Amino acid sequence: MKITGVKVTRRMHETNALAGRLAESCCIVMLSTDAGLTGIGIADAGVRAPVRRLVADMLVGADPRSVTGIWQRMMDAQSASHPGKVLSRAIAVLDQALWDLKAKANHEPLWKSLGGAPPTANAYASSIGLSLGDEELSAWFLRMARDHGLRGGKLRVGTEESGDARRLERMRAALAEATPEPVLMIDADHGWSVKQAIDRVRAMEQQFDLTWIEGVSRDRDARGLKQLSDAICGAVCVGKGFATIGEFLPHLQRRSADVIQIDINTIGITGALQVADAAFGLELPVTLSAAPGNVHAHLAGVMPYFMSIEIVDPEPVTRLFTSGVRIVDGWAVAGDAPGNGLVLS
Amino acid sequence: MKITGYRVEQYLMKMDRLVGDANLPSGVEMLPGSILYLETDEGLTGISFGYGGGAVEGLFGLIEGADPREVVALWIRMNDFLHKAGNEGAACAALSAIDMALWDLKAKIAGEPLWKTLGAKEGRVKAYASGLDYCLSDEELFAFYRRMAELGIDGGKLKVGLDLKADLRRLGIMRDALSIASPRPVLMIDSNEYWSPKQAVRYIRRMEQHFELRWVEEPARRWDYHGLRLVSQQVAAKVASGENLHTLADVYPLIANQAVDVINVWTGQSGVTGLRQIAHMAHAHGLQVSMMNAQANYMAQIAAALPNHNMMEVVDPGREHCLRWDNRIEDGYIVLGDAPGFGIEIDEQKLRELQAHPPTGRGKFPFPRREGAGRYIVPPAPGEVPWRRG
Repeated sequence: MKITGVKVTRRMHETNALAGRLAESCCIVMLSTDAGLTGIGIADAGVRAPVRRLVADMLVGADPRSVTGIWQRMMDAQSASHPGKVLSRAIAVLDQALWDLKAKANHEPLWKSLGGAPPTANAYASSIGLSLGDEELSAWFLRMARDHGLRGGKLRVGTEESGDARRLERMRAALAEATPEPVLMIDADHGWSVKQAIDRVRAMEQQFDLTWIEGVSRDRDARGLKQLSDAICGAVCVGKGFATIGEFLPHLQRRSADVIQIDINTIGITGALQVADAAFGLELPVTLSAAPGNVHAHLAGVMPYFMSIEIVDPEPVTRLFTSGVRIVDGWAVAGDAPGNGLVLS
Repeated sequence: MKITGYRVEQYLMKMDRLVGDANLPSGVEMLPGSILYLETDEGLTGISFGYGGGAVEGLFGLIEGADPREVVALWIRMNDFLHKAGNEGAACAALSAIDMALWDLKAKIAGEPLWKTLGAKEGRVKAYASGLDYCLSDEELFAFYRRMAELGIDGGKLKVGLDLKADLRRLGIMRDALSIASPRPVLMIDSNEYWSPKQAVRYIRRMEQHFELRWVEEPARRWDYHGLRLVSQQVAAKVASGENLHTLADVYPLIANQAVDVINVWTGQSGVTGLRQIAHMAHAHGLQVSMMNAQANYMAQIAAALPNHNMMEVVDPGREHCLRWDNRIEDGYIVLGDAPGFGIEIDEQKLRELQAHPPTGRGKFPFPRREGAGRYIVPPAPGEVPWRRG
């Protein structure tokens, strides 16, 4: 089987199935092959130009079953200059489309091609990226708890102290519909310095049992994040948006991450598997940040120290595509259709 | 597809020649072999090679009825099952053998060689020659490395540790033999944990006055991260180790403490899945891995897919009595064919002949540690090795 070309849809605004900073606009990448199979991935619309260039330069004529080797080659080709965010996302979405093809070529779901068991991935609800007022926040988490059984929630914090506490309590109370002990996580969106974070998290921890905090200070400040970890009860979670395995290294060396967060939108599936194995060496739990159509659920069963996946949208509300992943009783369940389960409408 | 049963065949081989290192420089020529067959309801059989025969029974219940394509999840299940007793010893060998056979099946189901299942771009792996050669005469040593150089192989790893003067002479012989493949052959040495860290530093620094060494293998004990790091800091060569550790958890202290520069990997490290974990963790730390030698070089299938693999050890002492394989060495590379899985078939008739009439010969692998190891050097006695005349 050989790759023959790529089609990239134009910028689309309808979907809101994308996580956090992936923005409200996206595009769908379709890799075509001489076998008639199409590999699908969804990414930020900014990747359209680099995707076309990468396919023309490096993918046409290649066998998609060689996906890990192709990913390495795409990464190596950028190594002279640190790949920018857009280029990283372009490589990542192509990697996802290649894995989709590999699984489709085997007539099996992606989770099986990866070597996993039928995944029932521990999931949590994340309001990151949604602009919700207090009432909307309660209603949204309530829906996540009642309709999907989600027992954990992640909230963006960092504005004013009493507001953070008030909204955390709203999230907790809503999730209490599903469990007496909701799992609480916060994201400071890089708005705090280390010392500020220590101060604020310690204050929150008098009231709340926080599972982790992410988005503190700078992602590369391993020393500062270790300082934070040493000062608070909750775990420090690092890795969202990382595009290379090397970005994780200082955190592995200094043990400044207590939870490793992997973003398949930026590091791809191949990179995600490598990072997950590296994290297993230190037995650091691995959590996967949100992905369009929740295709990241396919990876859960193949990661030896898998912890949880982030869910922004339990079901794609868009009419652009459907996903085989369902959120049932707090677990993400991937389907049995060949590939990653994304089907374009 | 479901796993329905298994069978283990054990046999004894007589290699074409002796193999030996600092611990037994006189060498052995007998090698036990074992083959695990995993059977499925659709007629495909997964095979693996190693020493896992005895303990497979204790783990088989965990995979019976499972789909072999779910190999990584099955690995996690077996590893979790071994939680209390530990993934160690015979249990680890069995887990490794099962995992390998599952990967063989996964690739066979897809109808492709394992390197492709693992996602490699090509089935091609750079090779280096390793003579396991302390028991070879100077002439045999030259002949071995020259034969390898004629295949385009431009790197060699010499067994050393007991006699500095002889080791230096033999390094020169190895280099000369390889020099038809490259004007600057890659030279490596392996002392198989015979030295203490400080002995290693003294010995290697004296060698480095004459030769540039790419890596020194097992210059201190396998777990001694202080000692290995000390050697790495005090010699120019890289330090390689890891072949006698069997899990990621065991290798982790070496990586975290900057004790090694190259990690030797093989399927005995908790299978394809386990060794890939080690390679990925090494990769995250910017370290390279090197695949160990294997019967019919079957582990090249895995090496081809590792992002940080440098070169694979090729030994070639004759261990393929009942095997047919689909790979060859060309221009210094192991080139893998398109046969599915590991690309190895068993000659069942030869196997039964070996079992019915076990060959006899000198010694048997593995062998014990040599007297004096880590404390004082006991050089070969006259007549113990062909290069020390009686």
